[in-house]
Amino acid sequence: MSGMRRKGQRGNSLLEAALYLPVLFMLLFGMIELAKVAYTYYALQKVLYTVGRYVGTQRGINFCDDVDGVIDLAKQYAISGTPDGTEPFIRNLQADQIDVRIERFDSTEIGECECSATGCDTTAGGRGPDYVVVSIPDGYPLQLAIPQVPLDPILLRPRIRLPFQGM
Amino acid sequence: MGAKSISAVRSSGRRGAISVQLLVLMVPVFFGLMGFAIDLGRLYAARAELKAASEAMALAAASVLIGTDASTGNAAETALRLIETDTGFGNKYDFGALNVGEANGSLNSEVVEPTFYDNVAAATGEGESTTGTSGEVSGSVARHVRVELVGETPLTMWRFLALGQEGKVAIRVRSVAGVSAPVCTACGIEPIAIAPVDAGDTTNFGFVVNTRYTLGYICTGAPVPQPLPNSTGGRVPYVILNRLNEEAEVFPDDLQQIFRNGAQGMVPSTNDAIACMRIAAEESIWATASQLACNVNRVQPSITAFLCGMAARMDNSLVQGCDTIPEVETLNSLYQPDTDLTDLDDYAGYTGNGRRVLTIPIVETLNPTGTMVVLGFRQFLLEPLQDNSGIAPNDPNGRIQVLYLGVVMPLKQGRFEASCTATGGPGKVVLHQ
Repeated sequence: MSGMRRKGQRGNSLLEAALYLPVLFMLLFGMIELAKVAYTYYALQKVLYTVGRYVGTQRGINFCDDVDGVIDLAKQYAISGTPDGTEPFIRNLQADQIDVRIERFDSTEIGECECSATGCDTTAGGRGPDYVVVSIPDGYPLQLAIPQVPLDPILLRPRIRLPFQGM
Repeated sequence: MGAKSISAVRSSGRRGAISVQLLVLMVPVFFGLMGFAIDLGRLYAARAELKAASEAMALAAASVLIGTDASTGNAAETALRLIETDTGFGNKYDFGALNVGEANGSLNSEVVEPTFYDNVAAATGEGESTTGTSGEVSGSVARHVRVELVGETPLTMWRFLALGQEGKVAIRVRSVAGVSAPVCTACGIEPIAIAPVDAGDTTNFGFVVNTRYTLGYICTGAPVPQPLPNSTGGRVPYVILNRLNEEAEVFPDDLQQIFRNGAQGMVPSTNDAIACMRIAAEESIWATASQLACNVNRVQPSITAFLCGMAARMDNSLVQGCDTIPEVETLNSLYQPDTDLTDLDDYAGYTGNGRRVLTIPIVETLNPTGTMVVLGFRQFLLEPLQDNSGIAPNDPNGRIQVLYLGVVMPLKQGRFEASCTATGGPGKVVLHQ
């Protein structure tokens, strides 16, 4: 009798484990993946800040036609720490995903600065912009990996506006 | 038998106890652990966003601290533009979902009124200001700004625990920006040179703050031209230093280039020799701006073109005497006049946007035929002939009236060098904290 009970007890705990282990694993994976979202967003934010400060402190930078590649160089450095963008810090992050928008305050509101001589085309004699906005317009797709749960990638859209302090 | 039954009772009771323990212990532990992953991650991300926003605000605010009474008010306004969301591109926090400085439902965010300081130690809270006990100073001496933001961020998991019952947590960030130490290489400044009035004075080179001087183009022989009326400081001769860009693609004409240098300072370029000037460097005169005899009572067309550019700082319509410059109307349309054109005796009352502030290299001695060694940079305010009018570029002696300011406005761009001996002079805007 006592042996039977012990056997039954073992079956019970096995059954219990079978019930709660998937829940436990889901929680565990969910925790890890959600933490990854926060971490990736944080890292993207830092990358965009780096791009913004790099382009925002340049002299003779041309936002309208990046012929000398300074803006591209800023992006490559920010995403990988190298001038050619190989092995990015954030997986599959490409320089062309990052957009640099130039803005000017026209005494009433902030708007996009157009590329003309009276706008922000510095090669045509224009003044530089007042602000730069660095963003990922289409979002950075982050694929969450939770076993047995098909999920669409989450699109992360960090953005930062910094003053332009170059000339 | 007795022993067996006790053991059976105990074992079944123990099983129940484990389930209750699981419930009582594991659930809070799980919420706590999940909070570390979810809430803490979110808090760190939100703090990074708030910190980036406050840094952007502090940098923007510090760049308009130009030593006037109105500058602190302007700085506070300028800072808020970094978080304006009307056009959809301002800085936000909590994964870009919450506005900074506004109430977002039950979550509040606040922009603490920026405070201003005259030295870095007071601004970062490590020391006291030299002028007041609170450390805060008013407009004309403010050089550094402290921006603080508070943003409440929601808690998802920790709200079920005692420590996070409010369901939100307030994040406070602080950034300090201000003017740097004097730069050695100054970019975008005005390429004219004057000699010190008193070479022994290393602070102001013999100039007196808030005193008017007439800058008149250097000429040979007698009679020396008169200073402009009201110039109590007298006439100070100047030369235009060479910043001709042989490879310029837009506005390549000599007169056009010298006009642009007058209107905006040295033209932006990746080339230091075009856009910047360095202390201790040897500079020479702009080739077409050579000096003439004083008694012929005229100056080279280059100098008139330079003053036409200067005039565009106050009035961007075509000014008399400037029509010989190719495409002058196009050039004029590129520049915005200053927003304050009044004739000022005291710079603290200036309310403009800094277009009239000139940063001028001081050289050891003026030498229109050889090289001149740069000693430092000092700032002057361009004064109109009368209230709300511009200057006269066709002045026969190339004269303009300026008010000496000392060092008031941060430069757009500049660099430090280990070998540099700059003890005074303008700096650029940097982030201190």
